[in-house]
Amino acid sequence: MVHVEIAAEKLFGLGPLAVTNSMVGALLASIVLLFIAGRFARRSGIVPSRGQSLVELPIEFLAGIVRGTGGKRWRQFAPLILAIFLFVLTANWMSLLPGVGTIGLAEKASDGTPVIVPFVRAGAADLNFTLGLALVSFVSFIAFGVRANGLRGYLKELLIAEPAYMTPLLTPIHLISELSRVISLSMRLFGNVFAGEVLLATMLALTTATLFILPLAFVIPGIFIGLELLFGLVQALVFALLSMTYITLAIAEHRQHGTDDHHSVEAPEHGTASAPGAA
Amino acid sequence: MAMVPDRDEPRAGRPETEPSPRPANWALAFDLGLRLGISVALGLGLGLLVDSWLHTSPIFILTGMVLGIAAAMYTIWDVARQSMGR
Repeated sequence: MVHVEIAAEKLFGLGPLAVTNSMVGALLASIVLLFIAGRFARRSGIVPSRGQSLVELPIEFLAGIVRGTGGKRWRQFAPLILAIFLFVLTANWMSLLPGVGTIGLAEKASDGTPVIVPFVRAGAADLNFTLGLALVSFVSFIAFGVRANGLRGYLKELLIAEPAYMTPLLTPIHLISELSRVISLSMRLFGNVFAGEVLLATMLALTTATLFILPLAFVIPGIFIGLELLFGLVQALVFALLSMTYITLAIAEHRQHGTDDHHSVEAPEHGTASAPGAA
Repeated sequence: MAMVPDRDEPRAGRPETEPSPRPANWALAFDLGLRLGISVALGLGLGLLVDSWLHTSPIFILTGMVLGIAAAMYTIWDVARQSMGR
């Protein structure tokens, strides 16, 4: 029977902290990234080896995009965007490894049916993980906005509309729109990864348990695992690019209104926000 | 290993590619549909909360819904503005 729990399952407790299988997945992704970074940071050369080229490929790919769209201050937030991208990508792809989500403790569900509580689960298949990342992104774009425009300039932009008599109407609209960014970032990543988990579990169950035909048992899950590889990359890219876009806008948007009570900032290279009148 | 290339020109021996804003626009397009629904749901949810707190149903539910729909429209305008600005 197919059983995929929507909430991450608790494995053990560390004092008041419940360690869940998705936390183990996220921790493993961090360890893998740290290991790769440590290994290639020490052995990197001007003429890259095959391994170094492979590691640098996603970094240079995303750095190129950030350079193209991030304005003149792209270097300030490129490491954050790259870290988010690599972390989400590693966590998504690790969930496709054999054993992740399938090897665990045999327990009984509340209705008495036997279920497996996996030791490791995809990090992003837990809303806590995606919401945490979305909050990091949210706090970052607020921090970059405040840094570029000063606290007064940022709050003025956020809370006071133009013309001022429209403030009671436009400020709640603007606040709802800002809040929707966090929820949209977290729900999209969670929804896609969790749906992928359910899809893979269903396909495995259909092709092996109910109608076991040897070629189908390998081919059909193989097709869906291939699709999940693609979706994992796309979702990591979308999350990172949206975070970058929000940060770029937070830096650039406020300049349009000529707030002169903040640090001097240069115009963005590609004019990420050109129209005036943001609420 | 340079985590972020410390220069704007590409490495020797690698093809020069013009930075394109298109990926960021795709990401914004991915984002738009979900944000429309979330804006309306947020407005409704906040209205429901205020109404259950003040016992004024359905005044704030309706207000929240209108504000949520307005926020969704503002989001469309905001995303279009960002995309056309590139």
